[in-house]
Amino acid sequence: MTVLTLFSLTALACRAEAEVVIVLNSGEGTITRIDRQTYQPIDHFYVGREPHHLMSLPDNSALIVADAVSNDLVFLDPKTGDILRRLTRISDPYQIGFSPDKHWFVANSLRLDRVDVYDARDFHLVKRFELASMPSHMAFSPDSSMVFVTLQGSDQLAAIDLRSLTVKWVIPIGKTPAGVILTPDGKHLLVGIMGQNEVAVVDYKTAQIIKHIPAGKGTHNFMPEGDGRHIFVGNRSGDTVSIIDTKTLTITKTFPVPGGPDDMEVSADGKELWITNRWIRQVSVVDLSTDKVVRTIPVGKSPHGIFFEHHAARL
Amino acid sequence: MTWFETFMNGFTLAQAWLFEHCVNPLLPPLGLLAYQEEAFDATEFALVGMGEIAFLVLFFRPLEALFPAERWSGRRGVRVDILYTLLHRLGFIPLVMFVLMWPLTFKLDAWLRFHGFIPYTLEDLIPALENRPLTTFFAYLVILDFFSYWLHRFQHRLEWWWALHGVHHSQQTMSYWSDDRTHLLDDVLTAACFSLLSLAIGVEPGQFILLMMIPRILQSLAHANIDWRFGPFERCLVSPHYHRYHHGMGTGSESGQLSCNFAVLFPIWDILFGTANFSRETPPTGIADQREGRDYGKGFWAQQRLGCQRLWSALTLGKA
Repeated sequence: MTVLTLFSLTALACRAEAEVVIVLNSGEGTITRIDRQTYQPIDHFYVGREPHHLMSLPDNSALIVADAVSNDLVFLDPKTGDILRRLTRISDPYQIGFSPDKHWFVANSLRLDRVDVYDARDFHLVKRFELASMPSHMAFSPDSSMVFVTLQGSDQLAAIDLRSLTVKWVIPIGKTPAGVILTPDGKHLLVGIMGQNEVAVVDYKTAQIIKHIPAGKGTHNFMPEGDGRHIFVGNRSGDTVSIIDTKTLTITKTFPVPGGPDDMEVSADGKELWITNRWIRQVSVVDLSTDKVVRTIPVGKSPHGIFFEHHAARL
Repeated sequence: MTWFETFMNGFTLAQAWLFEHCVNPLLPPLGLLAYQEEAFDATEFALVGMGEIAFLVLFFRPLEALFPAERWSGRRGVRVDILYTLLHRLGFIPLVMFVLMWPLTFKLDAWLRFHGFIPYTLEDLIPALENRPLTTFFAYLVILDFFSYWLHRFQHRLEWWWALHGVHHSQQTMSYWSDDRTHLLDDVLTAACFSLLSLAIGVEPGQFILLMMIPRILQSLAHANIDWRFGPFERCLVSPHYHRYHHGMGTGSESGQLSCNFAVLFPIWDILFGTANFSRETPPTGIADQREGRDYGKGFWAQQRLGCQRLWSALTLGKA
């Protein structure tokens, strides 16, 4: 075996191990793949009309891209981002989620004021809910009995009981709610209130808002830091990201991220935060030891969802 | 970095700046923050429109001076068409249409899905188009042009619709600004027809923003006061001469079954359905009864008001 062959094989092995970052460019229907080690875009390919959000299957065997307007779910290889298959005739999926018990798959249609509940085993539609208006983000209760949905157009938070498949309650939550996430202790919901530049803290058992945490302009979406305590929240109109301490329910830090910070992903080692910059066709990488943007990577139009395999724990 | 990447970077920065500094701050006080992403897209639409208008002035105005189909004593009559163009291409009228069509495009769509019908896209109907967005884009372009041909025929064939469409045909100094000179109710009807079509075949992939400009620029060229026939391509693409004949007094500018050359982009539809006329004649543009003194209005509001009066007349008396 020549030295050149050995070198080529080593290079191939390194290439095969390179972690791929998958970015959904919702405004042009494409995916950009980025090499996480070199921060260089690998390629760019078409996936459907409006890919907004993505998540792993419960067994991590595939990634699902919710392809709104095209009415399908696109399954990707989580390591390479290659398209594995397409599940058609899934009505306008925008935001998607699996219940923790893996029994339910829920898809919000923001455009059509509707929340669809599917059997997660075969994606068979079980119930379709009409909610006013603009169902946006979702979170599940730890026991999988409830899914909570922000209603961006009617300033509400809705709770759907997944056992009885009925709407349990709908409460006013504040102007233009967006992201919603369960705190790591499972006691509260945090809701990003874009129109009031704050995070609302909700006791979902009593359907009461118990606290308002002032944040940045256009408080939008969340991502856990992975330490079981802190959660990032993006302030999409203010071009900042804040960190919430869920023990004290206060903001501990805020740092700038340009161009409409939206969806986020945190590296498993907790060193990097990757963020889609919605208005400027870029992804930013923040060094979490300094809280500074150290890289910006060009992607496609209106980048929204982002994923890589070795990410921090979601809670 | 290629010139195209440099151009796109500049465009992205301009759009982001305009959005973050001028548009986004207006959304919370207007109670429209929930439509932030639509507002971002609208900012792009307006910027693309500005680019289109700059292109038209830079290229088509000199061509009108060099190769005029008609010689005019002045361009005063063109001014009102500039207003129509600005209202359309900078997004004001499309925004109004979007709001008006909301019940049709979204509520009807949602209702259909509640009753078990998920509208199709072309890729659902023709699986070979899957993962081929450029081919899909051109397939939509051809289908939408075919649909536009028939819609245009009905604009002439139905007396009440011709009452409104007459605003477009009443221009006697037709120039590259005239494409958007339309009655607002005509815009509503056209938007409703295309909204219904989108429920049947979906909408085209939206990533080809520059390609999407080309049909609009070609439609402006078709109205330009330029004596061009496109030589051997005359039967492939609607030329300024071909469309001028459609706007000609006593040739195409007629209601009922007398008109011809309805195609918007591709004359093939006229050829196939027997409505093509490749005459070499260059008739004056306008509607025949303007010679007898009929007033279609000089200004925007007069044209809109008189269009409504003609509509009323067509609905009550059967004649616009």
